[in-house]
Amino acid sequence: MLVLTRKLHQSIVIGDQIEVVVLEVRGEQVRLGIKAPKDVTVHRKEIYEQIQDENKSSANVRLEDIPEP
Amino acid sequence: MTLSNTRFGDIEFSADDVITFTEGIIGFPNYSQYLLLNHKPNTPFRWLQSVEDANLAFLVAFADLIVPGYAPEVDNGVTRELALSDETPTMVLTTVSIPAGKPQEMTTNLLGPIIINGATMQAKQVILSDDAYTVKHRVFATTERVAEKVAA
Repeated sequence: MLVLTRKLHQSIVIGDQIEVVVLEVRGEQVRLGIKAPKDVTVHRKEIYEQIQDENKSSANVRLEDIPEP
Repeated sequence: MTLSNTRFGDIEFSADDVITFTEGIIGFPNYSQYLLLNHKPNTPFRWLQSVEDANLAFLVAFADLIVPGYAPEVDNGVTRELALSDETPTMVLTTVSIPAGKPQEMTTNLLGPIIINGATMQAKQVILSDDAYTVKHRVFATTERVAEKVAA
């Protein structure tokens, strides 16, 4: 993993088209701004993982637990 | 074509029935082809059955039928990717989880709906940026609260 130290309002550039800026640092919270092309999807990792878990759990539903019409 | 040995037995299907998720479903990037099975007719529930893995099927529902008023706004990138227009027959499905033996605790993932272009059969699982939606929306929450009140 590449580790870089940045100060407030400084940024990093990934490739030609992606820029991540440190917008605010408040205690343990860091606000980041991300500039990226529309086809690059950016998500909080925990949301992504939660959706992955829901997908897995929907694949494990037992047929008999589905309500009747 | 026949897909053998699924949870639902052998399934006959044609190429037109196949829904293609170019990027797969989140957590399952290696599978892109699915069938939508109407296993329990007259319910809002369907199974998204993988064509590539007979053992893989996700329980999904027509979200607006189990959560009235659910109408997620997808961003322009998704609209473009799936070539959606006002005339496109679009299906919005959400995955459904039911803890074993507890159908009343059913939840559905309103934050990560599956959008299908019914004309091209191209589909994508989208992550919404709307904080109003959760991944574990209780489907029977309201009814249950009323029932508890009656019982009390």
